[in-house]
Amino acid sequence: MSKNGGAREFAVETDFQKKVRRPGGVTRNQAIGRARVQIDTLKSEFTDWLSEELYRLQAAIQMAETYPDNEMLLEDAFRSSCQLRDVGTTMGYELVTFVASRLCEVLDTVRRGAGYDKDLIACHLDALQLAGQDSYKNVSPDQVPDLCDGLRRAAERSISATGRAEK
Amino acid sequence: MKNSTLNLRDLVILVADPSPYMCMLANSMLRGFGANKAVDARSSIDAIQILTEQKIDIMLCDSLLPPHGGLKLTQAIRRNVTNPNRTVPILIMTSDTRESTVRSARDAGANMVVAKPMSPSSLYDRLSWIAFNPRNFVDAPSYFGPDRRFKIEGFPTGVGRRQGDKAIDVSEETGPTLAQDDIDNLFNSSRVG
Repeated sequence: MSKNGGAREFAVETDFQKKVRRPGGVTRNQAIGRARVQIDTLKSEFTDWLSEELYRLQAAIQMAETYPDNEMLLEDAFRSSCQLRDVGTTMGYELVTFVASRLCEVLDTVRRGAGYDKDLIACHLDALQLAGQDSYKNVSPDQVPDLCDGLRRAAERSISATGRAEK
Repeated sequence: MKNSTLNLRDLVILVADPSPYMCMLANSMLRGFGANKAVDARSSIDAIQILTEQKIDIMLCDSLLPPHGGLKLTQAIRRNVTNPNRTVPILIMTSDTRESTVRSARDAGANMVVAKPMSPSSLYDRLSWIAFNPRNFVDAPSYFGPDRRFKIEGFPTGVGRRQGDKAIDVSEETGPTLAQDDIDNLFNSSRVG
Protein backbone atom coordinates (compact mmCIF):
# COMPACT_ATOMS: atom_id res chain seq x y z
CA MET A 1 0.00 0.00 0.00
CA SER A 2 1.31 3.48 -0.75
CA LYS A 3 0.12 6.99 -0.03
CA ASN A 4 0.52 9.82 -2.43
CA GLY A 5 -0.90 13.28 -1.84
CA GLY A 6 -3.91 12.07 0.13
CA ALA A 7 -4.50 9.17 -2.27
CA ARG A 8 -4.07 5.60 -1.08
CA GLU A 9 -2.98 3.00 -3.59
CA PHE A 10 -3.44 -0.68 -2.86
CA ALA A 11 -3.40 -4.02 -4.65
CA VAL A 12 -6.69 -5.83 -5.18
CA GLU A 13 -6.96 -9.35 -6.46
CA THR A 14 -10.62 -9.85 -7.22
CA ASP A 15 -12.38 -13.20 -7.22
CA PHE A 16 -12.75 -12.77 -10.96
CA GLN A 17 -8.99 -12.60 -11.41
CA LYS A 18 -8.39 -15.56 -9.09
CA LYS A 19 -11.06 -17.85 -10.54
CA VAL A 20 -10.64 -17.06 -14.21
CA ARG A 21 -7.06 -18.39 -14.18
CA ARG A 22 -8.07 -21.80 -12.85
CA PRO A 23 -7.14 -24.76 -15.04
CA GLY A 24 -9.84 -26.08 -17.32
CA GLY A 25 -10.48 -22.86 -19.19
CA VAL A 26 -11.03 -22.44 -22.90
CA THR A 27 -8.62 -20.93 -25.39
CA ARG A 28 -9.48 -17.78 -27.30
CA ASN A 29 -10.23 -19.63 -30.54
CA GLN A 30 -12.38 -22.24 -28.82
CA ALA A 31 -14.26 -19.58 -26.87
CA ILE A 32 -14.96 -17.41 -29.90
CA GLY A 33 -16.02 -20.39 -32.00
CA ARG A 34 -18.42 -21.58 -29.29
CA ALA A 35 -19.78 -18.08 -28.79
CA ARG A 36 -20.55 -17.82 -32.50
CA VAL A 37 -22.45 -21.10 -32.36
CA GLN A 38 -24.45 -19.76 -29.40
CA ILE A 39 -25.22 -16.53 -31.28
CA ASP A 40 -26.41 -18.52 -34.29
CA THR A 41 -29.10 -20.10 -32.13
CA LEU A 42 -30.51 -16.62 -31.50
CA LYS A 43 -30.72 -15.66 -35.14
CA SER A 44 -34.10 -17.27 -35.68
CA GLU A 45 -35.55 -15.11 -32.90
CA PHE A 46 -33.89 -11.99 -34.20
CA THR A 47 -36.42 -11.17 -36.93
CA ASP A 48 -39.27 -11.38 -34.40
CA TRP A 49 -37.36 -9.17 -31.99
CA LEU A 50 -36.55 -6.75 -34.80
CA SER A 51 -40.21 -6.29 -35.81
CA GLU A 52 -41.22 -5.85 -32.15
CA GLU A 53 -38.43 -3.33 -31.58
CA LEU A 54 -39.35 -1.40 -34.75
CA TYR A 55 -42.96 -1.28 -33.60
CA ARG A 56 -41.81 -0.09 -30.17
CA LEU A 57 -39.62 2.60 -31.75
CA GLN A 58 -42.48 3.86 -33.92
CA ALA A 59 -44.78 3.98 -30.91
CA ALA A 60 -42.13 5.80 -28.85
CA ILE A 61 -41.64 8.37 -31.62
CA GLN A 62 -45.39 8.87 -31.98
CA MET A 63 -45.65 9.49 -28.24
CA ALA A 64 -42.69 11.89 -28.34
CA GLU A 65 -44.41 13.82 -31.16
CA THR A 66 -47.73 13.93 -29.31
CA TYR A 67 -46.18 15.09 -26.04
CA PRO A 68 -43.10 17.13 -27.09
CA ASP A 69 -42.62 18.57 -23.60
CA ASN A 70 -42.09 15.17 -22.05
CA GLU A 71 -38.34 14.57 -22.39
CA MET A 72 -38.59 11.02 -21.12
CA LEU A 73 -40.55 10.01 -24.22
CA LEU A 74 -37.83 11.27 -26.52
CA GLU A 75 -35.33 9.46 -24.31
CA ASP A 76 -37.32 6.22 -24.81
CA ALA A 77 -37.23 6.68 -28.60
CA PHE A 78 -33.49 7.40 -28.48
CA ARG A 79 -32.83 4.31 -26.36
CA SER A 80 -34.94 2.16 -28.64
CA SER A 81 -33.01 3.31 -31.73
CA CYS A 82 -29.74 2.66 -29.86
CA GLN A 83 -30.84 -0.92 -29.19
CA LEU A 84 -31.44 -1.50 -32.91
CA ARG A 85 -28.05 -0.01 -33.72
CA ASP A 86 -26.23 -2.12 -31.11
CA VAL A 87 -27.59 -5.49 -32.16
CA GLY A 88 -27.96 -5.19 -35.96
CA THR A 89 -24.40 -5.86 -37.08
CA THR A 90 -23.83 -8.74 -34.65
CA MET A 91 -26.84 -10.51 -36.16
CA GLY A 92 -25.87 -9.85 -39.80
CA TYR A 93 -28.08 -6.79 -40.40
CA GLU A 94 -25.42 -4.18 -40.99
CA LEU A 95 -27.88 -1.88 -42.73
CA VAL A 96 -30.13 -1.82 -39.66
CA THR A 97 -27.15 -0.67 -37.60
CA PHE A 98 -26.29 1.99 -40.19
CA VAL A 99 -29.81 3.49 -40.39
CA ALA A 100 -30.42 3.19 -36.64
CA SER A 101 -27.10 4.88 -36.04
CA ARG A 102 -28.14 7.82 -38.24
CA LEU A 103 -31.47 7.98 -36.41
CA CYS A 104 -29.62 8.00 -33.07
CA GLU A 105 -27.62 11.00 -34.28
CA VAL A 106 -30.80 12.80 -35.37
CA LEU A 107 -32.58 12.10 -32.07
CA ASP A 108 -29.47 13.05 -30.12
CA THR A 109 -29.40 16.49 -31.75
CA VAL A 110 -33.08 16.90 -30.81
CA ARG A 111 -32.21 15.87 -27.21
CA ARG A 112 -29.60 18.62 -27.25
CA GLY A 113 -32.14 21.23 -28.27
CA ALA A 114 -32.29 21.12 -32.09
CA GLY A 115 -35.67 21.37 -33.78
CA TYR A 116 -37.75 18.20 -34.27
CA ASP A 117 -38.04 17.35 -37.96
CA LYS A 118 -40.95 14.97 -38.34
CA ASP A 119 -40.21 14.18 -42.02
CA LEU A 120 -36.56 13.41 -41.35
CA ILE A 121 -37.48 10.98 -38.60
CA ALA A 122 -40.22 9.40 -40.72
CA CYS A 123 -37.77 8.77 -43.55
CA HIS A 124 -35.36 7.04 -41.12
CA LEU A 125 -38.21 4.88 -39.83
CA ASP A 126 -39.10 3.89 -43.42
CA ALA A 127 -35.47 3.06 -44.12
CA LEU A 128 -35.35 0.95 -40.97
CA GLN A 129 -38.44 -1.00 -42.05
CA LEU A 130 -36.70 -1.73 -45.33
CA ALA A 131 -33.33 -2.61 -43.76
CA GLY A 132 -35.03 -5.07 -41.42
CA GLN A 133 -36.41 -7.16 -44.26
CA ASP A 134 -34.86 -10.57 -44.88
CA SER A 135 -33.77 -9.56 -48.37
CA TYR A 136 -31.52 -6.87 -46.85
CA LYS A 137 -29.74 -9.24 -44.51
CA ASN A 138 -25.97 -9.25 -45.13
CA VAL A 139 -26.32 -6.08 -47.21
CA SER A 140 -23.81 -3.42 -46.26
CA PRO A 141 -24.44 0.34 -46.59
CA ASP A 142 -22.04 0.68 -49.51
CA GLN A 143 -24.21 -1.74 -51.49
CA VAL A 144 -27.18 0.63 -51.25
CA PRO A 145 -25.63 4.06 -51.92
CA ASP A 146 -28.94 5.63 -52.99
CA LEU A 147 -30.55 4.91 -49.65
CA CYS A 148 -27.52 6.15 -47.71
CA ASP A 149 -27.18 9.30 -49.81
CA GLY A 150 -30.91 9.91 -49.48
CA LEU A 151 -30.68 9.83 -45.68
CA ARG A 152 -27.64 12.07 -45.71
CA ARG A 153 -29.32 14.60 -48.03
CA ALA A 154 -32.48 14.60 -45.91
CA ALA A 155 -30.39 15.31 -42.80
CA GLU A 156 -28.53 18.14 -44.57
CA ARG A 157 -31.81 19.64 -45.81
CA SER A 158 -33.21 19.51 -42.30
CA ILE A 159 -30.13 21.21 -40.82
CA SER A 160 -30.17 24.00 -43.39
CA ALA A 161 -33.95 24.47 -42.96
CA THR A 162 -33.45 24.73 -39.19
CA GLY A 163 -30.68 27.25 -39.77
CA ARG A 164 -32.96 29.35 -42.02
CA ALA A 165 -35.79 29.18 -39.48
CA GLU A 166 -33.46 30.35 -36.69
CA LYS A 167 -32.34 33.36 -38.76
CA MET B 1 1.32 -14.66 -22.73
CA LYS B 2 1.67 -17.81 -20.65
CA ASN B 3 -1.93 -18.28 -19.62
CA SER B 4 -4.09 -17.98 -22.66
CA THR B 5 -7.26 -19.64 -21.39
CA LEU B 6 -10.19 -18.19 -19.47
CA ASN B 7 -12.20 -20.25 -17.03
CA LEU B 8 -15.53 -18.51 -16.42
CA ARG B 9 -17.24 -21.53 -14.90
CA ASP B 10 -19.17 -20.70 -11.69
CA LEU B 11 -18.29 -17.03 -11.92
CA VAL B 12 -21.32 -14.83 -11.30
CA ILE B 13 -21.57 -12.31 -14.14
CA LEU B 14 -24.01 -9.41 -13.98
CA VAL B 15 -25.16 -8.15 -17.39
CA ALA B 16 -26.85 -4.76 -16.98
CA ASP B 17 -28.52 -3.62 -20.19
CA PRO B 18 -32.00 -2.21 -20.83
CA SER B 19 -32.48 -4.41 -23.89
CA PRO B 20 -33.53 -8.00 -23.17
CA TYR B 21 -32.20 -9.04 -26.56
CA MET B 22 -28.80 -7.44 -25.91
CA CYS B 23 -28.66 -9.27 -22.56
CA MET B 24 -29.49 -12.51 -24.34
CA LEU B 25 -26.76 -11.83 -26.89
CA ALA B 26 -24.15 -11.05 -24.22
CA ASN B 27 -25.22 -14.13 -22.25
CA SER B 28 -24.84 -16.28 -25.37
CA MET B 29 -21.30 -15.07 -25.89
CA LEU B 30 -20.48 -15.66 -22.22
CA ARG B 31 -21.98 -19.17 -22.39
CA GLY B 32 -19.76 -19.82 -25.39
CA PHE B 33 -16.79 -18.74 -23.27
CA GLY B 34 -17.81 -21.30 -20.62
CA ALA B 35 -19.79 -19.12 -18.21
CA ASN B 36 -22.77 -20.75 -16.53
CA LYS B 37 -23.97 -18.15 -14.04
CA ALA B 38 -25.24 -14.89 -15.49
CA VAL B 39 -27.66 -12.49 -13.86
CA ASP B 40 -29.49 -9.75 -15.81
CA ALA B 41 -30.47 -6.24 -14.75
CA ARG B 42 -32.53 -3.86 -16.85
CA SER B 43 -31.87 -0.70 -14.85
CA SER B 44 -29.40 0.81 -12.38
CA ILE B 45 -31.93 0.21 -9.62
CA ASP B 46 -32.09 -3.53 -10.43
CA ALA B 47 -28.29 -3.66 -10.65
CA ILE B 48 -27.78 -1.96 -7.28
CA GLN B 49 -30.25 -4.34 -5.68
CA ILE B 50 -28.47 -7.38 -7.11
CA LEU B 51 -25.08 -6.00 -6.06
CA THR B 52 -26.21 -5.54 -2.48
CA GLU B 53 -27.82 -8.97 -2.29
CA GLN B 54 -25.17 -11.21 -3.80
CA LYS B 55 -21.50 -11.47 -4.66
CA ILE B 56 -20.86 -10.57 -8.27
CA ASP B 57 -17.57 -11.50 -9.92
CA ILE B 58 -17.75 -9.13 -12.88
CA MET B 59 -20.29 -6.68 -14.26
CA LEU B 60 -20.95 -5.79 -17.89
CA CYS B 61 -22.85 -2.53 -17.94
CA ASP B 62 -24.44 -0.52 -20.74
CA SER B 63 -23.45 3.15 -20.72
CA LEU B 64 -27.09 4.18 -21.32
CA LEU B 65 -28.55 2.01 -18.57
CA PRO B 66 -31.68 3.82 -17.34
CA PRO B 67 -32.40 5.92 -15.44
CA HIS B 68 -29.06 7.68 -14.93
CA GLY B 69 -26.63 5.77 -17.17
CA GLY B 70 -23.96 3.14 -16.57
CA LEU B 71 -21.23 5.62 -15.68
CA LYS B 72 -23.25 7.08 -12.82
CA LEU B 73 -23.92 3.53 -11.63
CA THR B 74 -20.19 2.73 -11.78
CA GLN B 75 -19.44 5.83 -9.74
CA ALA B 76 -22.11 4.90 -7.19
CA ILE B 77 -20.68 1.38 -6.79
CA ARG B 78 -17.12 2.67 -6.34
CA ARG B 79 -18.14 5.40 -3.89
CA ASN B 80 -20.25 3.23 -1.62
CA VAL B 81 -17.86 2.20 1.16
CA THR B 82 -20.27 -0.40 2.52
CA ASN B 83 -20.77 -2.15 -0.81
CA PRO B 84 -19.11 -5.60 -0.72
CA ASN B 85 -18.82 -5.40 -4.51
CA ARG B 86 -17.00 -2.07 -4.43
CA THR B 87 -13.96 -3.40 -6.30
CA VAL B 88 -15.89 -5.59 -8.75
CA PRO B 89 -14.42 -5.40 -12.27
CA ILE B 90 -16.74 -3.26 -14.43
CA LEU B 91 -16.78 -3.44 -18.20
CA ILE B 92 -18.75 -0.63 -19.84
CA MET B 93 -20.52 -1.44 -23.12
CA THR B 94 -21.07 1.59 -25.31
CA SER B 95 -21.65 2.64 -28.88
CA ASP B 96 -20.25 6.05 -28.15
CA THR B 97 -16.53 5.48 -28.47
CA ARG B 98 -15.44 9.12 -28.55
CA GLU B 99 -12.31 9.67 -26.50
CA SER B 100 -14.22 11.94 -24.13
CA THR B 101 -16.69 9.15 -23.37
CA VAL B 102 -13.94 6.59 -22.78
CA ARG B 103 -12.23 9.06 -20.46
CA SER B 104 -15.49 9.60 -18.57
CA ALA B 105 -15.89 5.83 -18.15
CA ARG B 106 -12.33 5.58 -16.86
CA ASP B 107 -12.88 8.50 -14.47
CA ALA B 108 -16.07 6.90 -13.17
CA GLY B 109 -14.01 3.86 -12.13
CA ALA B 110 -14.66 1.40 -14.96
CA ASN B 111 -11.97 -1.18 -15.69
CA MET B 112 -12.49 -1.26 -19.42
CA VAL B 113 -14.78 -0.20 -22.26
CA VAL B 114 -16.06 -2.44 -25.03
CA ALA B 115 -17.61 -0.98 -28.18
CA LYS B 116 -21.06 -1.93 -29.35
CA PRO B 117 -21.94 -3.69 -31.60
CA MET B 118 -20.01 -6.23 -29.57
CA SER B 119 -18.33 -9.23 -31.17
CA PRO B 120 -17.22 -12.40 -29.36
CA SER B 121 -13.58 -11.54 -30.01
CA SER B 122 -13.83 -8.00 -28.66
CA LEU B 123 -15.58 -9.22 -25.51
CA TYR B 124 -13.14 -12.09 -24.97
CA ASP B 125 -10.11 -9.82 -25.38
CA ARG B 126 -11.39 -7.35 -22.85
CA LEU B 127 -12.22 -10.05 -20.32
CA SER B 128 -8.70 -11.44 -20.80
CA TRP B 129 -7.24 -8.02 -20.31
CA ILE B 130 -9.08 -7.52 -17.04
CA ALA B 131 -8.18 -11.03 -15.89
CA PHE B 132 -4.48 -11.00 -16.64
CA ASN B 133 -3.58 -7.36 -16.11
CA PRO B 134 -4.61 -6.62 -12.54
CA ARG B 135 -4.31 -2.98 -11.61
CA ASN B 136 -3.90 -1.39 -8.19
CA PHE B 137 -6.85 0.48 -6.79
CA VAL B 138 -6.63 4.14 -5.91
CA ASP B 139 -8.62 5.64 -3.07
CA ALA B 140 -8.52 9.43 -3.34
CA PRO B 141 -10.95 12.12 -2.19
CA SER B 142 -12.27 12.55 -5.72
CA TYR B 143 -11.79 9.05 -7.12
CA PHE B 144 -12.06 5.42 -6.12
CA GLY B 145 -11.27 2.77 -8.69
CA PRO B 146 -8.58 1.03 -10.70
CA ASP B 147 -5.40 3.03 -11.26
CA ARG B 148 -6.08 5.14 -14.32
CA ARG B 149 -2.41 5.30 -15.37
CA PHE B 150 -2.15 2.38 -17.75
CA LYS B 151 -1.49 1.66 -21.35
CA ILE B 152 -2.79 -1.18 -23.53
CA GLU B 153 0.06 -2.82 -25.36
CA GLY B 154 -1.88 -5.50 -27.19
CA PHE B 155 -4.33 -7.86 -25.59
CA PRO B 156 -2.99 -10.48 -23.19
CA THR B 157 -3.78 -13.48 -25.35
CA GLY B 158 -0.99 -12.26 -27.56
CA VAL B 159 -3.37 -12.06 -30.49
CA GLY B 160 -4.17 -8.39 -30.22
CA ARG B 161 -6.78 -6.68 -32.24
CA ARG B 162 -4.72 -6.45 -35.39
CA GLN B 163 -5.08 -10.07 -36.50
CA GLY B 164 -7.95 -10.51 -38.88
CA ASP B 165 -8.72 -6.81 -38.93
CA LYS B 166 -10.56 -5.92 -42.08
CA ALA B 167 -9.12 -3.35 -44.44
CA ILE B 168 -10.85 -0.05 -43.93
CA ASP B 169 -12.22 2.11 -46.68
CA VAL B 170 -12.01 5.75 -45.81
CA SER B 171 -15.03 7.58 -47.13
CA GLU B 172 -14.96 11.02 -48.63
CA GLU B 173 -14.78 13.82 -46.14
CA THR B 174 -18.25 15.20 -45.49
CA GLY B 175 -17.55 17.41 -42.50
CA PRO B 176 -15.83 17.42 -39.12
CA THR B 177 -15.94 14.04 -37.41
CA LEU B 178 -14.59 15.09 -34.04
CA ALA B 179 -16.20 17.42 -31.56
CA GLN B 180 -14.09 20.35 -30.37
CA ASP B 181 -13.72 18.71 -26.93
CA ASP B 182 -12.19 15.64 -28.51
CA ILE B 183 -9.79 17.73 -30.58
CA ASP B 184 -8.77 19.61 -27.42
CA ASN B 185 -8.24 16.32 -25.60
CA LEU B 186 -5.94 15.04 -28.33
CA PHE B 187 -3.74 18.08 -27.89
CA ASN B 188 -3.63 17.82 -24.10
CA SER B 189 -0.47 16.11 -22.95
CA SER B 190 -1.41 13.02 -20.96
CA ARG B 191 0.65 10.80 -18.72
CA VAL B 192 0.51 7.10 -19.46
CA GLY B 193 2.20 4.05 -17.95
